[in-house]
Amino acid sequence: MIKAILVFNNSAKPRLVKFFEHYPEEVQQRILRDTYQLVSKRDDNVCNFLEGGSILGDNDCRLIYRHYATLYFIFCVDSSESELGILDLIQVFVETLDKCFENVCELDLIFHADKVHYILQEICFGGMVLETNLNEVVARVDEQSKIEKQEAGISAAPAKAMTALKEMNLPQKIKDIKLPDLNLNLRF
Amino acid sequence: MRGDAMRGLAVFISDIRNCKSREAELRRINKELTNIRQRFRADKTLDGYQKKKYVCKLLFIFLLGHDIDFGYMEAVNLLSSNKYTEKQIGYLFISVIMNSSTEMKQLIIQNIRNDLQSRNPIFINLALQCVANIGDREMAIAFTNDIPRLLISGDTLDAVKQSAALCLLRLHRTSSDSLQLNTEWTARIIHLLNDQHLGVATAAVSLIDALVKRNPDEYRGCVNLAVSRLSRIVTSSYTDFQDYTYYFVPAPWLCVKLLRLLQNYPPPEDPSVRSRLNECLDTILNKAQEPLKSKKVQHSNARNAVLFEAINLIIHMDCESSLLVRACNQLGQFLQNRETNLRYLALESMCLLAASEFSHEAVKKHQETVINALKSERDVSVRQRAVDLLYAMCDRSNAQDLVQEMLAYLETADYTIREEMVLKIAILSEKYAVDYSWYLDVMLKLIRIAGDFVSEEVWYRVIQVVVNRTDVQSYAAKIAFEALQAPACHENMVKVGGYILGEYGNLIALDPRSTPMIQFNLLHSKYHLCSPATRCLILSTYMKFMNLFPEIKHHIQEILRHDSNYRSSDVEIQQRATEYLRLSEICNPTVLATILEIMPPYPEKQSPLLVRLKQKKPLMEANGATESQPAASGNTDDGPKLTETAIHLNQQAQHQNGLLVSLDTPESNGHHEESTSHHSSSAKKFLFKNSDIIFENELIQVGIKGESTKSTLRIELYYGNKTNSHLTHFSADIFTPGDLQTALRMNFDPIKSTIDPKAQIKQTGTIDCIKDFAELPTMNISFLHNNMLQKIDYAFPLYLNKFIEKAEMDSNNFFLRWRNLDKPNQECQKIFPAKFPMVYNDCNQKLEDFGWSSLVGIDVNAENFCGAGIINTSTQPIGCLYRLEPNKQAKMYRLTIRSSKEGVANRLMELLEDQF
Repeated sequence: MIKAILVFNNSAKPRLVKFFEHYPEEVQQRILRDTYQLVSKRDDNVCNFLEGGSILGDNDCRLIYRHYATLYFIFCVDSSESELGILDLIQVFVETLDKCFENVCELDLIFHADKVHYILQEICFGGMVLETNLNEVVARVDEQSKIEKQEAGISAAPAKAMTALKEMNLPQKIKDIKLPDLNLNLRF
Repeated sequence: MRGDAMRGLAVFISDIRNCKSREAELRRINKELTNIRQRFRADKTLDGYQKKKYVCKLLFIFLLGHDIDFGYMEAVNLLSSNKYTEKQIGYLFISVIMNSSTEMKQLIIQNIRNDLQSRNPIFINLALQCVANIGDREMAIAFTNDIPRLLISGDTLDAVKQSAALCLLRLHRTSSDSLQLNTEWTARIIHLLNDQHLGVATAAVSLIDALVKRNPDEYRGCVNLAVSRLSRIVTSSYTDFQDYTYYFVPAPWLCVKLLRLLQNYPPPEDPSVRSRLNECLDTILNKAQEPLKSKKVQHSNARNAVLFEAINLIIHMDCESSLLVRACNQLGQFLQNRETNLRYLALESMCLLAASEFSHEAVKKHQETVINALKSERDVSVRQRAVDLLYAMCDRSNAQDLVQEMLAYLETADYTIREEMVLKIAILSEKYAVDYSWYLDVMLKLIRIAGDFVSEEVWYRVIQVVVNRTDVQSYAAKIAFEALQAPACHENMVKVGGYILGEYGNLIALDPRSTPMIQFNLLHSKYHLCSPATRCLILSTYMKFMNLFPEIKHHIQEILRHDSNYRSSDVEIQQRATEYLRLSEICNPTVLATILEIMPPYPEKQSPLLVRLKQKKPLMEANGATESQPAASGNTDDGPKLTETAIHLNQQAQHQNGLLVSLDTPESNGHHEESTSHHSSSAKKFLFKNSDIIFENELIQVGIKGESTKSTLRIELYYGNKTNSHLTHFSADIFTPGDLQTALRMNFDPIKSTIDPKAQIKQTGTIDCIKDFAELPTMNISFLHNNMLQKIDYAFPLYLNKFIEKAEMDSNNFFLRWRNLDKPNQECQKIFPAKFPMVYNDCNQKLEDFGWSSLVGIDVNAENFCGAGIINTSTQPIGCLYRLEPNKQAKMYRLTIRSSKEGVANRLMELLEDQF
């Protein structure tokens, strides 16, 4: 099974942390640090698998990761998963993110952590691979946002109007702030 | 999706990102936490949107590494909202922060239950997701029925089915004992493999894969379905799978899962299924040769994921040599591939291939490439795999070359893998040593170039080998002496050299280049550079020198008298110096010679190095673990001498004990002849008792309880995990070889495949006795401990007497029957010496416990015992009578047994003759 999914950037800032087994907060942070230590030292063209050793407590742990521009996507799995399968699952995950956020960048992961979680939930479920078909995942996510919009349409209209009013004063929408180096270029 | 973000949240996140320092960030977070806390406390009228916003903030704070200890209640409240977005965030909070308080758990469970019963599939899925994310025992108990029902019900949506299957799998993984699956569901679950919806089928394969591990027989039906599904996917062209083709590969994930599932079973017996499966594997191997349909890495990844799994299945089946060789060639191609990932996986799979007799030779063809990989790979994890493979492909024919290559690589190897490499080199060079002087050369070189990574076990082992092999001792002394001449010498080398010279220095003393004095001076030049522990060892060597070379005795005494030893601040050194000095002064040479005589050979068991390697890293060393060590033939009887040998120079004696202990531990392998014989002969477990421990090692303990009615024995077996980790893939089988098959019918309930740390599981079953029997059934237990396969075979102590029922009768009746049983084969009589004190009550108790009666007042001699019993077999009852006559003066017994069926008396005699 997949034991944990970690996403952090080149300077070890976590952007998504999802554990499928319970660890206390401080242990989670330790795991993040250890993983960063292992992964960040590696060149980009070496292999995408490495032994996690006892990072997650027991010995059955392999890290399968991909590095996209500023972000590392790391799946910690046990021996019951196919390495190449998981490697491509990461790809599917990122492609889905890219579709849903239209050119995903690190900022999307920061400001829409909840959405990212929902997308992940459509792909990986309690540590098991749920759906691997990109189109299927995107369809489900779209369905979700449709419901969201409907619900927002009924009750959140006043709140939305208020937000719109307040935002008029802002010189620039926060969403638009993009740091040049944060563009997440998908490399296929 | 970018539209309606929560503004407060965005502002908060930007604030945090703008913080210049960690302290500023912390201040901002604390401010926010206070704010949220106040809001939650004061404002009871918070609407859904606000709650949602705050919960999102908390999630973000948690992500940054701050513990969140409030907000649970608000999150749980969101669960009962009717709005999807609010419910969703509530579930998200719970599954990310996963709080384990039980009160809250009940509330959560109630909410989940409501959602599971709702008509809205989206709500059901949210609830299932949450169950899977938390996935603990309470969840398993609460939903043991709801979820399977969702899974097999006809009117569940595919998306829900898919989630239900995975949810069930998750609960099965975490707490399979609290999850009771109705056996009526089995067939329907298996049939999910045929489901139209690929997602459902994929999820179902994962689930079945786990269920199969617990109960292979119940799910055997899945093999045929899996093969046919696989064949439909593999043999189709990709256009048939318009709905799901991933970069020109049809349903790769489903294929991978199906191939994994099939690895749970032996190759299919049905020839048509088997040929269909072989055809699939053939096709997959063929496709690997076709040109790539796309340049994208996803295409080759998906194709190779399937290919690697197919190769794993081929290795697992281990029967089609043509497939195995093809697999090996394919992997050989990958070894040269430009993709690092493929080289890594190819090396790993080849390790498995090397273990198969069909493909071992084929793997060896790639020796050159693997050695090159070791030298030229840029990635340490690939090099590590190369080392593993070299270890696996090593045999007598290439050992010398491989060991040489590994030694050469060791000098530049990464620090992280050096210790493991040292162990591997040490094991290989001993295992395949034709010439032990070669072994010693290798080992000394090993210590020289990687001394820091030579663990104690390694150098103990060197000494053990030298002590046990008289033919290499003088060579050992010679090269140890030479090695010590190096100006900078690793301390481990000093230890080995010191020990060897102390024992066998006399063998080279005639050489003018290594006279006693030169040896002594050489060793003493290292003395002050060493740690106290090593100095102690060297002091012992000096003491041995006094015996070997009386001519340098006074030099040594002087050293012992020297303040740095005699008044050393280290207690151990001081004590040795004092005692050795005194010993050398008061003992005459003969006594001294006896005390300091050379070490007796060590008892030979399994090499402690293998144990060490297994502790270090659970690898595929199944082959190494089962093979016996070809090393010196030690004499086991010498064991006790080790402790008798008068002064065994404390520390060394301790070391030996250390050795003995570590030599004893590998009993867990169970493959030792010694352990099996031990269990079959000397201790007849379960003979007199109705409950007993029938097997025990440091990993597990097996207990038994039995109760018989007529010809049926009801049995409870208890398997206890003595370790602090899980034992997985646990299986226990009892076999009835040969004639036993017709004599006993066994029926055991299935057991779980996992035993939690320090926990035990119970297995119940019945054994029917059809006719009398003589042999014992065998019990095979296997499981994975720290990923190492452990196999234990031993004789299952089921004796004929378990089916005896007591018979009461008076004196007349007894003797009437006794006289009737007078054919030659009906009687067996033996006279044997007493093994235990001859106490009347003890004997009486044993006879009663054996199963038959002990009747009073039948024999004229009140000291004698008489009794009767009936052996219940389902074909015929067998009557038996006995008479046991103790002779206290001679300390002997005479036992006479008569039975109605020929031969049975002899069997009962075998059971009893050494028990009084």
